[in-house]
Amino acid sequence: MVNGYLEDLIVGRVLRSSTTGFDCGTHSTRLDDRHSFGAFVEAPIANRDDVYAIGLIYAVRVDDDPLVSELVRAETVEDNVLRDQRENRLIPVEISVINIGWRNTERTFPGLPPRPPMSLADVTACDRLVVSHFTSKHDFFRLVLNAAEVPSDDLLAAALHYASARAYEPDERETFMIDSGRKLVRLLSHDLKRLAHLLELIRP
Amino acid sequence: MTLPHNPNDLDAWELPRPGARTRLPRTPSDNGHVALTRLGVVVGGSLSKGLVVKLDREVAIEEMAVGRYVVVHGDNKRFFCMVNDVVLNATNPAIQGDPPDIREDNFLRAVYSGVVAYGTINVAPMLVIDEEDGKPRPVKSIPSHFTEVYNADEGDVNAVFGAEDQAHFNVGRPLELEQTQINLDLRRLTERSVGVFGKSGTGKSFLTRVLLAGVIARGQAVSLIFDMHNDYGWEITSENGSKVKGLKQLFPAKISICTLDAESSRRRTAKYDFEVQLGYDEIEPEDIAMLRGTMSLSDAMIDAAYTLSKRWGTNWVWRLLQGRSEDIDEIVEHTNIMGGTLAGLQRRLERFQRWEFLVQHSSGDTINQIINKLDQGISVVLEFGRYGSSLEAYILVANYLSRRIHESYVERVEKALGDQGMEPPQLLITIEEAHKFLDPLIARQTIFGTIAREMRKYKVTLLIVDQRPSGIDEEVMSQIGTRVTALLDNERDINAVLNGISGAGNLREVLARLDTKQQAIIMGHAVPMPVVIKTRAYDEAFYAAMLDRPVSTDEARRTLGNSGKERRIR
Repeated sequence: MVNGYLEDLIVGRVLRSSTTGFDCGTHSTRLDDRHSFGAFVEAPIANRDDVYAIGLIYAVRVDDDPLVSELVRAETVEDNVLRDQRENRLIPVEISVINIGWRNTERTFPGLPPRPPMSLADVTACDRLVVSHFTSKHDFFRLVLNAAEVPSDDLLAAALHYASARAYEPDERETFMIDSGRKLVRLLSHDLKRLAHLLELIRP
Repeated sequence: MTLPHNPNDLDAWELPRPGARTRLPRTPSDNGHVALTRLGVVVGGSLSKGLVVKLDREVAIEEMAVGRYVVVHGDNKRFFCMVNDVVLNATNPAIQGDPPDIREDNFLRAVYSGVVAYGTINVAPMLVIDEEDGKPRPVKSIPSHFTEVYNADEGDVNAVFGAEDQAHFNVGRPLELEQTQINLDLRRLTERSVGVFGKSGTGKSFLTRVLLAGVIARGQAVSLIFDMHNDYGWEITSENGSKVKGLKQLFPAKISICTLDAESSRRRTAKYDFEVQLGYDEIEPEDIAMLRGTMSLSDAMIDAAYTLSKRWGTNWVWRLLQGRSEDIDEIVEHTNIMGGTLAGLQRRLERFQRWEFLVQHSSGDTINQIINKLDQGISVVLEFGRYGSSLEAYILVANYLSRRIHESYVERVEKALGDQGMEPPQLLITIEEAHKFLDPLIARQTIFGTIAREMRKYKVTLLIVDQRPSGIDEEVMSQIGTRVTALLDNERDINAVLNGISGAGNLREVLARLDTKQQAIIMGHAVPMPVVIKTRAYDEAFYAAMLDRPVSTDEARRTLGNSGKERRIR
């Protein structure tokens, strides 16, 4: 299953999931831009390999273990010990994703996916074309803005900057951000202070 | 579009680009010129109060102007509407208390404008055009929510106002539609009275000259023009100092100038045909009654005039002005006229002696001369010369001539018994300062009030030019078929002009915001719907257009001047 292309895209594997989101795990050494806050990821839903849940990474946690706890209390830690701890020991990294849409082979859809991904399913970074198509409509904004368990304003701003940088040509980015800003103005016209803050966050 | 199951297979993807909106529909107009631009969608309103249109954010609010035409494209009908208000709105009123700082911030400007803060226009449906037969009809319904609104193009305007022909005359163009024109139905214009209103300096005289030129050029009526300030007959100096042609210069064979002040006409090299002199013996008490307001005549003085006329006959004015003591004593002794009243009337009428056109006995038959001209299809301009500055003289002469010409028309129309060949030509009497003639206190007694009320019954109608329409009797105003109104800023004048006009409330803002020059709103009988126009310039192009029509042999003969010999023009 894993080939060179997916190696580049893979974010982790599903640990636990629901229709509203899922957590996936990976090794600390693999953490890079794919795992950034606000990145678009996707995972096949249970028992279908042609339907993918699309989500946003809203939290990345590096867990501890007894040795880490002991090391942080030590007065000095040698560099080779630190490198050994980081590179050779299996420090679990947990990534939390909120579902904002799904796709099949024809279209992308805003909203929650029909079923959650199965455990250990591959979680991959969305291709730029998926991101581009999915973000060309702004229907997922409401889902993010109304999500109680996530830092919604910062998450949406990060997602838009991620999409702008990854999925749009330089000359398209300003227009994308202005279109996104207008959608936010429509959604948040009742709450001008929140709107002003969010527009500051997404300013290109 | 196909999304790949395998993300490697990306070739088939066809993605929309950001900012690539669906193109606005742009429909070719009748002449093939693409001109339609979407302005927004209907979001509310009513038939009585007009429609509310939310403007698209691309539309510059600054470019929206009251009086402009828009067309609402319904499913089966096009609603022809006029913009009568432009409004700034916000989805959240709180934004007015804490507006975003968008100075030099194009991003914030772009996202806020047209979304949380947006523009709306109020539009008044004026006509509906059924897509099936293309005929304009009165509006009895309104389009549904979210119907698209476009600016009106040439095709829309032409569908409503028709093309220029023998009965339709181009008087200008609608605002912002350079390539089209508004054509007045001259037949309908002249069959009822017409009012040209506007505050001082708004170009009423130029507008009137354009209307008269149309009527005369198309032969729809003849006109008797009481030319108070020598504005119509011969060469006129416009406000910018340039010379413009009078009607006589445009239509030498169709205009005759007569004058009350031959010296003034000669000084201006105005080619007049005859001089008008009125005899004191022709002045009747009714003519004096018209001067009640301008000469401060009391009721007792008016009664005295009737008594004197009865006692002394036709020469009563002359005898009163001579003021021989035996005459005065006789009147005071044998009638109930008080000496003071008689002296007051005499003092006031002494002004007549300064008017050289008044003579003891008139030598010519002025009335018949004018009627003969009118019967030949020749319009008559009566120049007042220096007497134009005397309102009393103007009122006396206009009333004197109009009353007698009207009597002649009544007699001839009744004699004709419906035989159109026997009837005199349709006559349009043009008077200025009309509120002095049609004041509510005297309108019922004056000939002009009678003419206005009779409408087309005796083939005489009025073209009244005035800057104070509120001073005109309400009943007379209600009988004015077509109102051509330049800028008015007095609330009472605006009310007077709009009184009786369907959907007048919607036009109030339009009327109060016309440009001071070359803009007017035309409402009433001669147009299918109220229309704001940039009036046609009275210039070389206009002169050329007036001449650019087939000239009859008879006309050509008269124009060339045959010195009594017949030229062979076939």
